[in-house]
Amino acid sequence: MADIKKHDTPTVDELKSGPWPSFVDDIYSYAEKHQKQSCFDLMGQLELSYKHKETHWKHGGIVGVFGYGGGVIGRYSDQQEKFPAIWAFHTIRVNQPASKWYHTSLLRKLCEMWDHRGSGLFNFHGSTGDAVLLGTVTEQLEPVFFDLTHQFNMDLGGSGSNLRTPSCCVGKARCEWSCLDTQAICYDLTMTYQDELHRPAFPYKFKFKISGCPNDCVAAIARADCSIIGTWIDDIQIDQEAVRAYVGGELKPNAGAHSDRDWGPFDIQKEVIDLCPTQCMYWDEKEKKLYINNKECNRCMHCINVMPEALRPGKETGATILMGAKAPILEGAQLSTVIVPFMRMEPPYDTLKELIDKVWDFWMENGKNRERVGEIMQRVGLNRFITDILGLKPIPQHVREPRSNPYVFWKEEEVPGGWERDLAEFRKRHPA
Amino acid sequence: MAMDKEELKRKIMEFMEKKSGAKSKVYLKDMQRAIPDASPRDIKKAANELVQEGKLEYFSTGSTVMYGIPGKGQPVEQKG
Repeated sequence: MADIKKHDTPTVDELKSGPWPSFVDDIYSYAEKHQKQSCFDLMGQLELSYKHKETHWKHGGIVGVFGYGGGVIGRYSDQQEKFPAIWAFHTIRVNQPASKWYHTSLLRKLCEMWDHRGSGLFNFHGSTGDAVLLGTVTEQLEPVFFDLTHQFNMDLGGSGSNLRTPSCCVGKARCEWSCLDTQAICYDLTMTYQDELHRPAFPYKFKFKISGCPNDCVAAIARADCSIIGTWIDDIQIDQEAVRAYVGGELKPNAGAHSDRDWGPFDIQKEVIDLCPTQCMYWDEKEKKLYINNKECNRCMHCINVMPEALRPGKETGATILMGAKAPILEGAQLSTVIVPFMRMEPPYDTLKELIDKVWDFWMENGKNRERVGEIMQRVGLNRFITDILGLKPIPQHVREPRSNPYVFWKEEEVPGGWERDLAEFRKRHPA
Repeated sequence: MAMDKEELKRKIMEFMEKKSGAKSKVYLKDMQRAIPDASPRDIKKAANELVQEGKLEYFSTGSTVMYGIPGKGQPVEQKG
């Protein structure tokens, strides 16, 4: 085996002295143990970057393995003579299992494979949701892909102008609030849109994220071009007995989440009723009963979060479909906009897919290069997007402000004499 | 009218050859604009097949994907 060369990295080593566990410690201890030149070179190049105050990575070029238009993000060093082991340091995105659950035996095998074929460095998980294998050379891409697909039953994730790997929260498997089987939806969308995931077809990226309830644990509303968020259309389920237990102090609010400090006795009026954004709740002190005007509820989840034993989402569940979130690259950051306030979500999710197809058809045809769905929505206007492109009827849920029409428009039949009344007759009585 | 796939592939290659003088990498969008009478989806499928055949290649800018003719312009691999 060739000699392992460790670089002198005084600046990088400084990071070890901080109060937090340091990646420098981690990478060095791994590199020493496995005698990985690429890890030493990586730290060497980082030291150089700290010194020069600029990056020495070039990116772009390679996109994936044969037949794939995404999944690999090409990374090359511009200091290849100094750091030959990282002349290429490609990132491989691996489609994570729904909700990011792995069997430890799979993780072990994955680590062994990556020790052998890559730098040994992982990122669990990237912001898109994929498991990210950090750093390998071009010759190893096909073998890694073969191992992933043939040994682990895993696939590459999305990158580039593709559908990005769909991701979801833990859903019904671990969460009592989930209104959706998020994992089933995530899996179904991933399988249905394999072609879009691996073959670049879009003007830019497109993301699906699925949250089981409006707490939105995967931040679908902030990150996904199509956010699917669980909701209900009937009433919030109330257990009045448990509400009284919260008020009486027998149950801890927020399931004891804020118990590190004494916040005083629980005050339902101050902590729940007054904080309701639509003021649709009422606590009757005399009757010791909680009332909710469910028609006004906007699913903020606050009351349910504070009193989880007393309140639950309704029984008739489905999803709110929102579109257009994105991070601030061209325009500012944008949250998703409600497109369909309530959609029932049962396999094979045809209604959802029809909607997605319409958006894609329009966006693929009319989107500019690197224009996200959120931006095209702004460009054509929400009204046109909803009516002309999606063929939906505009409804109050699409409108934030004003929620009521401030003008009065009269119809002819509502006006005495209609539009054709005799003006001369009118002026006789009311001179101008 | 739906265009024959071979015909479409030929048109894509024609466009790519013509473009390759000035610009070696193009977006899928540019192809679609150049061949307005075929559906964008068919163009994508045809371009994808051309990649499989090795007549075109994908090129990643890091965040988006472009198409190029192998050997022209900046190479996919940047060793050395």
